[in-house]
Amino acid sequence: MRKIAIIAWHEYTTNVRRIGFIFVTLLFPALGLLGIVVAGFFSGEATSFLKSQFVPPARQTGIVDHARLFTPIAPQFAKSFVAYPDEEAAKRALLADQIAAYVVISADYIATGKVTSYTKSFFGSSSSSDSGDLRAFLVTGLLAGKVDQGVLTRVAAPAKLDLVTLDAKGKSQAGGGLAIVAGFVAPYIFSILLFVSVFASAGYLLRSVSEEKETRVIEIVLSSVAPTELMAGKVIGLGALGLTQVGVWLLSSFALSGGLGALFAGAVMILNPGSFVLAALYFLLGYLLFGAIMATAGSLGTNVRESQQLAGVFSFTASIPWFFAGVLFANPNATIARVLSFFPLTAPTMMMLRLPITEVPLVDIVGSIAVLVVSIPAALWAGAKIFRIGLLMYGKRPAFREIWGALRSA
Amino acid sequence: MNNYAIQVEQLHKTFDAVVAVDHLSFQVNAGEIFGLLGPNGAGKTTTIRILMDIIKPDAGSARVLGKSPGEARARVGYLPEERGLYRGLRVSETLTYLGQLKGMSASAARQRADELLERVELSEWGKRKVQELSRGMQQKVQIIASIIHDPDLVVLDEPFQGLDPVNVGVVKDIIRDLRARGKTIVLSAHEMSQVEALCERIALIDHGRAVLYGALDEIKQQFAPNAMEITPPLDLAGWEQVARVEARDHRQMVYLKPGVAPHDFLKSILERGWRIEQFEVASVSLEQIFVTVVKGENRGHA
Repeated sequence: MRKIAIIAWHEYTTNVRRIGFIFVTLLFPALGLLGIVVAGFFSGEATSFLKSQFVPPARQTGIVDHARLFTPIAPQFAKSFVAYPDEEAAKRALLADQIAAYVVISADYIATGKVTSYTKSFFGSSSSSDSGDLRAFLVTGLLAGKVDQGVLTRVAAPAKLDLVTLDAKGKSQAGGGLAIVAGFVAPYIFSILLFVSVFASAGYLLRSVSEEKETRVIEIVLSSVAPTELMAGKVIGLGALGLTQVGVWLLSSFALSGGLGALFAGAVMILNPGSFVLAALYFLLGYLLFGAIMATAGSLGTNVRESQQLAGVFSFTASIPWFFAGVLFANPNATIARVLSFFPLTAPTMMMLRLPITEVPLVDIVGSIAVLVVSIPAALWAGAKIFRIGLLMYGKRPAFREIWGALRSA
Repeated sequence: MNNYAIQVEQLHKTFDAVVAVDHLSFQVNAGEIFGLLGPNGAGKTTTIRILMDIIKPDAGSARVLGKSPGEARARVGYLPEERGLYRGLRVSETLTYLGQLKGMSASAARQRADELLERVELSEWGKRKVQELSRGMQQKVQIIASIIHDPDLVVLDEPFQGLDPVNVGVVKDIIRDLRARGKTIVLSAHEMSQVEALCERIALIDHGRAVLYGALDEIKQQFAPNAMEITPPLDLAGWEQVARVEARDHRQMVYLKPGVAPHDFLKSILERGWRIEQFEVASVSLEQIFVTVVKGENRGHA
């Protein structure tokens, strides 16, 4: 145990000082900070510039009132609507870009409800003719003077909707946007971060093994510790390194977003502890599986680059669930999602993607964990065998036959 | 408990279809300098890796300091032939870490690293990164790494490779010092003159088997021709004790018939009242023995 701790500490302390690690770790906070600085610096001008690019100016909508119910325009709508005596006048104003659209209210409006909206292009009609505004305008015109003001306002805007989700015990959970953020967005981001951490750590593991082989220091190390101790020490030390990286990213995002992130993360843990525990479990299982695979790949290549190429096959397989993100959002329990949850290389990714979006069937959770729990010792066992022959073959990669021979040997 | 530092019995290891170690047996006595020799690909490194518990044998047994190779790790030092160091790490950090892996505390390893660096005249390099050191310097650091924990058994695979004569001397002094302190050293080297100067016993391995094994003096005697060199040349025609004579400049190589001892021959000359200036029993170098044996082995395997 002592040697494992020494190796873990050595791996952590030597890698945490690497320029590459520091650069990548600080890159995200630096980008966030840069974004804030730029936004603060140019806030006024930038906003108006962006607005001019993406938000067309909201112009008035013309009203041609054949029904003679809505003109003259009520003062509260004067900003949004302007009356025209006939369609020709309205048309000229539209073509001259004085208005964004015009609406013709038919003479038999009361009987038919027929209203026709004219615009220059389908997409350019960001104007007061948007249904909400027009509806309020028409309702107000119809009922003005007939009902009291309070009722009129309510008819024009009958509901200010609040969303409340009930848990299994009928207890209401946080309302509105926070519920969505806590229940979906935060866990989703959290699971992505954890997975980034899995692959970052597994990548460090690959490089560490590969470098020890390339620099020939491995044989000295292996004369002092058993391969399993070396592997365990590296897995722990570099797993901690990956967590440090994610920790820095999370903390910096909390700091940069003024504590809002911390609130979300807190909400994740308080509101959905089960999901949090499962995410942590899949993180651990995923890291152990990919750690074993990456360490093995690191021992097989003759140099870091070759090992990375070998490992790429596994990383690609693990990322397959992301290709189905579209399907997943529509149906998180689709057959493809369930099948990939039972395949060891895709199970951690798939489950981390599914868990925040839906109630995953218990059989999928138990099944995928069982698959991983069986796969990890198998990967470690095979890895340790291949590790021994791979590490001591300098200048050439072991052939498949040699790897197979190593696996078969006692 | 016996007094063997290493006991190898019928050790066997194959890689794929290639037999690397073929039922090899030998012992290394505690406290001696033992030479493990052989041509490239003879099975030396595989044998050493089994002794270091880096690979497992297919059959046979190996005991190191009376224990299984894995159990003896902390008391064994190893300088592999394929060796290197963490390039980006400082020299003292590297040695401390490798010392810790051998069971030392960090402070003890640091202190011992400083002492040993001073001994090999590298004390001012302790704070420098390994990549700044020359190859020879790195090699001295690697040798320090193998003895930092004061092991009872040190296995040095090609310790002189790439060293200049001054540093060869430094390493030889370290080896002699270890021997003087009762440590056991197993030396594998291609420089036969160094092996000859240091080792008491040897095993010459070829094709995975020990083709020569025993005390170096006895082996040399075994291979030495029954001959002597004398100055000045004498007329030995018709001498019953003499098989043949070879003239060499102002000297003469006299080969005796089997069973005739050199001192008997010398006595006969003196009895005749012949005057000789120099009389030397012919010897054979380890290198000559190595070449003779390995060539003979190769013919046998051809």
